[in-house]
Amino acid sequence: MNKLSKLFLILSALSFAVPAFAQGGVSSEVNWVAIAAGFSMAFASGICALAQGKATAAAAEGLARNPAARPGIQLALILGLALIESLALYTLVIIFVKVK
Amino acid sequence: MDTPLHTEPNQQQAASERFYSGALNRIRQFMASLGPLLTVAAWWKFGLYPAIGFAFGCAIAYVNFYWLKRVINGFVDRATGTARSGSGQGIVSRFLLRYVLMAIGAYVILAVSPASLNGLLVGLFLPVAAIACEAAYELYAALARGL
Repeated sequence: MNKLSKLFLILSALSFAVPAFAQGGVSSEVNWVAIAAGFSMAFASGICALAQGKATAAAAEGLARNPAARPGIQLALILGLALIESLALYTLVIIFVKVK
Repeated sequence: MDTPLHTEPNQQQAASERFYSGALNRIRQFMASLGPLLTVAAWWKFGLYPAIGFAFGCAIAYVNFYWLKRVINGFVDRATGTARSGSGQGIVSRFLLRYVLMAIGAYVILAVSPASLNGLLVGLFLPVAAIACEAAYELYAALARGL
């Protein structure tokens, strides 16, 4: 049992040394701009989603407390959501400009 | 004797509320007038394909804004308990359908003419331009009334 576990330990250590992971003769350049663009879009989408959720929750709470304030809250909510969405669009445009 | 003193601020407040409640309609009108105007300007400055893309972007942004308004109307109706029609599922599906529409528009433009994709992306910012125009108009109106 002890020998078997040692064998598996050695095999697992050897599995990290596969030739596929060896550094090649030709240097392959990583496209960091594309990777950063993907991350930035993910961050922008996530943060905009959080902001939209917070704005909607606050509007629902305000409407539940004071239904008479409906016109003002509705206007602020529509404008807020439109502007928050545009922030994600800004990121998308920057990505399209930078990643060709 | 007290009545005139109290009615004047009330009238002012009612006029102010009327003015601000028309903001969404004014924004829609700004979008409807800025879209064609800027499309012609894009055609003159950048050529046909970017202008077509810009017009597509403006149309998508206009429909997107209109649907956003309808969705929020439905949401507010439900939040205040005055829902007249439309289920919660319908509201959510309409909210998500806006993104599907935008994706389809972008795909069609990309498939037909990649050159007009930049125009499409710029056209999606039409509501921001309209909101900026509305802000400028409200500032002008406030200054004209003496703040």
